[in-house]
Amino acid sequence: MHRFEHGYVLNVMSDDHPGIVAAVTEAVESLGGNIDACSQTVLGGYFTLIMIVSFPEPVAPEKLTAQVRSAPANGGDYQVMVRRTMPASPAREASDRFVITAFGKDQPGIVRRFSQYLAGKDINIVDLYGDLRGDEFVLIGQLEVPAHWDIRMLQADLEQMGSELGFTVKLQHENVFVATNQLRLQAFGRR
Amino acid sequence: MLRTDEILSTIQMLHAEHLDVRSVTLALNLEDCAAPNVDHLCKKVRQKIVARASRLVETCDRVGIKYGIPVINKRLAISPAATLLAGHGRAAAVSLARTLDEAAAECRVDFVGGFSALVQKGISAGDDVVINSLPEVLSQTRRVCASVNVASRRAGINMDAIHQIGHVILKIAAATAADRGFGCAKLVVFSNIPEDNPFMAGAFMGAGEPEATVNIGVSGPGVVCSALKRRIALGEKLTLGDLAEEIKITSFRVTRVGELIGREVARELGVAFGIVDLSLAPTPTVGDSVGEILKMLGIGRIGAPGSTAAVAMLNDAVKKGGLFASSSVGGLSGAFIPVSEDAALADAVAQGHLVLEKLEAMTSVCSVGLDMVIIPGDTPAETIAAIIADEMAIGVVNDKTTAVRIIPVPGARAGEVVDFGGLFGSSPVIDVRNAGASDAFVHFGGRIPAPLQSLKN
Repeated sequence: MHRFEHGYVLNVMSDDHPGIVAAVTEAVESLGGNIDACSQTVLGGYFTLIMIVSFPEPVAPEKLTAQVRSAPANGGDYQVMVRRTMPASPAREASDRFVITAFGKDQPGIVRRFSQYLAGKDINIVDLYGDLRGDEFVLIGQLEVPAHWDIRMLQADLEQMGSELGFTVKLQHENVFVATNQLRLQAFGRR
Repeated sequence: MLRTDEILSTIQMLHAEHLDVRSVTLALNLEDCAAPNVDHLCKKVRQKIVARASRLVETCDRVGIKYGIPVINKRLAISPAATLLAGHGRAAAVSLARTLDEAAAECRVDFVGGFSALVQKGISAGDDVVINSLPEVLSQTRRVCASVNVASRRAGINMDAIHQIGHVILKIAAATAADRGFGCAKLVVFSNIPEDNPFMAGAFMGAGEPEATVNIGVSGPGVVCSALKRRIALGEKLTLGDLAEEIKITSFRVTRVGELIGREVARELGVAFGIVDLSLAPTPTVGDSVGEILKMLGIGRIGAPGSTAAVAMLNDAVKKGGLFASSSVGGLSGAFIPVSEDAALADAVAQGHLVLEKLEAMTSVCSVGLDMVIIPGDTPAETIAAIIADEMAIGVVNDKTTAVRIIPVPGARAGEVVDFGGLFGSSPVIDVRNAGASDAFVHFGGRIPAPLQSLKN
């Protein structure tokens, strides 16, 4: 839901330093916009931000892009992308939240192999993390798995793929991570 | 959205530290199966068990796979067999036990508990049938487990029952002499028996429980041991308070896993969820040992001074973490120290570090008493009864559950190693000092009155 009628998705990438969010939000506000939702992450010294913003009157995406790009107070260089938000997409099949974890010796193609498999099964990745720890690559994905899949089959496929790559792979329902980390049991909402 | 560090720490616990759910026990009330005709009784028992429990194993496996956590043991517990056997004789008891054995096999569960009698204040007709049939029942069935409650905080200690059981234990050992007295490993003598214990051999469904319920025994000591090892390996200066905190956090997480699995299994089976039992139940597998936790806590030889304090700290920390994690904690919920089932404890007996008296002292601050203790086959019935009486006194006076599962191995002498195999493990026969010196005390019989509940120093 947007605060104002005209919604946009705004994406900003930059090297990481203090003041980026302040500069970007000032640029949005200067055009009369509101921040409806935002999420940022920093990886390897680089910053990326995604925002849903809305305006009472239409704003050309190029204008918003230019405004944000000119925002850095210290002459920094932001890569900016803006597009209009789409009407809500048709409802997807009912799904359940699972977490995939994979650990093994780093090599090219790991993320591609696993993500191609998941894509082929219409499994949506809603959060992805990967990192090198010494020689070992750690991959964690939070997934929406369509309800019709047999989890045992997916687990067997992924474990088989893992063993070919020398990776230990697990696919587990997210509630086990909720249960072991969060204080409130009500958080077991999804099953 | 879950955080990456949360996922990583859970993965560490699940896979590097081998967290599992130790036992899912489906408890069933069989009181409505009572019948004057034994064939009719057995038929009703079989039908009810199969109707209720045939999906237990499959359900546990499916839920375990979903969460990536194996459920190691799936078991059944029933309301006390003594209730069904009132008005019947020993032959009926054996028929009932065989029926339970077959029904358990059909449901693919490894044990069914509840061949039980509650005699803390006196022995009823049904209780008498149960107790006297135990040598036949435990020698002629594989999966049936028995328990007898002989003492409680409110009733005191029934010394007549204990004396009788001292003799029965020797008869069970003789009836299973070919298996080195193994029948005795399927009998637990209790004080303050819990109604909702999921662990064998003492599981049964007590009074006040629903028609059917699922009780959960959470993971073993290996997880706690690994967590302590990892914390100590960081090399920082640690106090016992820090180590207790680490145990507490591990217990919290382990308990949560147990409750998650238990609630889902109960829901799928259409029965009430009962309790999570926090007990650390060791297995003979190296690394899955309460003894090794004690070593991790700095007790170089188990049985050395400090052992009781270390067990007390472990037991308390496990409870504190578990109680915060779940509002459905029950059963025994303490650290078990079953000698033959815990490789480090059995080794301590072999090395002469751990003696019966020190073991007894340790049981005063943990669960569940003198468990899987192998004693010489020539130990007199009165001495076995007196060992039981001592352990019951600890339970009654301290208002806690204590138990005795003791195996006099026919022909075996102190020091000889007896191997029961599998989950029951192996241990040297422990020396029973002063055997025969308690006869007059036991022969007095009667009941030791219920203890004072105030002025507890």
